Amino acid sequence: MGMRRRSGGFVLAVNPIQCDGFGHCAELAPDLVHLDEWGYPIIDKTPVALSNLSALESARLAVRGCPRQALRIERVSEAS
Amino acid sequence: MVALTSPYLWYTTRATGLVTLLLFTGVLVLGSLVANRVGGAAVGRFELSELHRSLSMVAVIFLVIHIATTVIDSFVSTGLISVIVPLTSAYKRVPVALGSVAFDLIVAVWISSLLKTRLSNETWRFIHWFSWLGWAIAVVHAFMTGSDARSGVGLALVLVCALAGLLAGLWRFFARPARAAGRTALSPLSPAPAPEPASPRDSRRVTPPRERTVADTAFPRRPVDDQRRRPR
Repeated sequence: MGMRRRSGGFVLAVNPIQCDGFGHCAELAPDLVHLDEWGYPIIDKTPVALSNLSALESARLAVRGCPRQALRIERVSEAS
Repeated sequence: MVALTSPYLWYTTRATGLVTLLLFTGVLVLGSLVANRVGGAAVGRFELSELHRSLSMVAVIFLVIHIATTVIDSFVSTGLISVIVPLTSAYKRVPVALGSVAFDLIVAVWISSLLKTRLSNETWRFIHWFSWLGWAIAVVHAFMTGSDARSGVGLALVLVCALAGLLAGLWRFFARPARAAGRTALSPLSPAPAPEPASPRDSRRVTPPRERTVADTAFPRRPVDDQRRRPR
């Protein structure tokens, strides 16, 4: 049940058109998001396991905290 | 009812009116801080954003108390319909009408923010601009209607709120950074980022660091001095 739901992974994806570089995501999800020198996010596209609950929670906070709603969580079947 | 004829509802209306104005001024200033990308070192930008959201909730609650006590109280006859529809109050027709308009605008901003995830960000931002108008009308409403706003502490409060909001507005419009204002120093949640990510989770990553692509930074598509510097 819970196990099946937590299999797979996610990536935090940014819409570069929407992003205005507020930098809230890097504060809310410092493990997932780094900022380039202009303040725009650099997000690793390597999927993170959904079982990594702290990472998932920080990703959700980043999605909720984005002033431009430029972030979304994309689920992928395999966590590498 | 005794409560309807006692002066306490009326006192509550007057007090919450001033407090609501103070709170919305605070919300306005905090929103300007967020929009102009203040924070990063001493206080996180996301913290200012959260404070902006939370304080707006408190302000809306105070506004509801302010309006409810005005309607319930029998000392002045405003009528229930005048909460939403302007110029329907028997008491201080125009000043109360300003309050109605301000309330309508604030409700629009509030509902649009509650539905933020269902609206496009552009729509939400467009509606959010009206918070400035709602606040400005509310200040005039406070000065014209407020029984305490013509002298002493009440007048000082209204003037301070008006000045703070005006300065916030000028700063918001004219000192606005063009897009990203550089890296934040990150929140107290984490130390400064190492050039190479070195959290325990990274040990699981077998892929080598990927080269940055255009999609990662999105910077080459945007000229620094672009047209969106001014609010549309």
